[in-house]
Amino acid sequence: MATVSAASVRFASLKPASRSNQTNGVTSGVKFVTIGTSKLSFPSLRSSRFRVHCAAKPETVNKVIDIVKKQLALSDDTSLTPESKFSSLGADSLDTVEIVMCLEEEFDISVDEDNSQNITTVQEAADLIEKLVLQKAEAA
Amino acid sequence: MAVASVPLRAEVLSLLRSLLKTARKFGDYNIREYARRRAVDGFRENKELLDPSAIAAAFAEGTSQLEVAKRQASVYTLYAPSAKSVMEIIIIHFGNTGRVVMIATA
Repeated sequence: MATVSAASVRFASLKPASRSNQTNGVTSGVKFVTIGTSKLSFPSLRSSRFRVHCAAKPETVNKVIDIVKKQLALSDDTSLTPESKFSSLGADSLDTVEIVMCLEEEFDISVDEDNSQNITTVQEAADLIEKLVLQKAEAA
Repeated sequence: MAVASVPLRAEVLSLLRSLLKTARKFGDYNIREYARRRAVDGFRENKELLDPSAIAAAFAEGTSQLEVAKRQASVYTLYAPSAKSVMEIIIIHFGNTGRVVMIATA
């Protein structure tokens, strides 16, 4: 006659309770959702686990947008999103080469030939820049 | 005389990149800016060419200009001027916004 002693599990102290459950081998049906609570109650925790690795920093994206606006001579009130394609802004392949050269100068990086052909949107440019800056920092 | 082959799109863009990279190496502001401008204008001017022999001829001319630029970039480093051009000082100070800056001199 095994009675499930779930009532004996104390919710006040989460961590010790979970450990004691594991050592006892009692599989309590309680699942501790730690992800939710860490966001709420521990704002100082670095959320590096939750960062999406393909996203670039906003200031990098903004710099890219400024350079694209200047190169293509767009007015200041045209809104550029990270997903804007260069071709939809009226840039042909020559403009794209110029934009990539400007980005190389601005961020002091060196884009090789294959990568430069694949840049079609603002987000792709920002991601590539971040990757190259990181590689450069690691090599230094 | 060997028949020049029609360059691929990627080769043309690669030539432009090489020209712009070589232009960066010039120490003199005027020459550097001219090289950039001329490269971009030259490519834009010939953008609509359809005749394969004309395209090949333009590409060959671009390649020879690239050789000239590379040679001159290394020659100019031997005779680098000690002072910067005033335009460069203005751009470094005020930024390259493309707007005209009025400077008052006493």
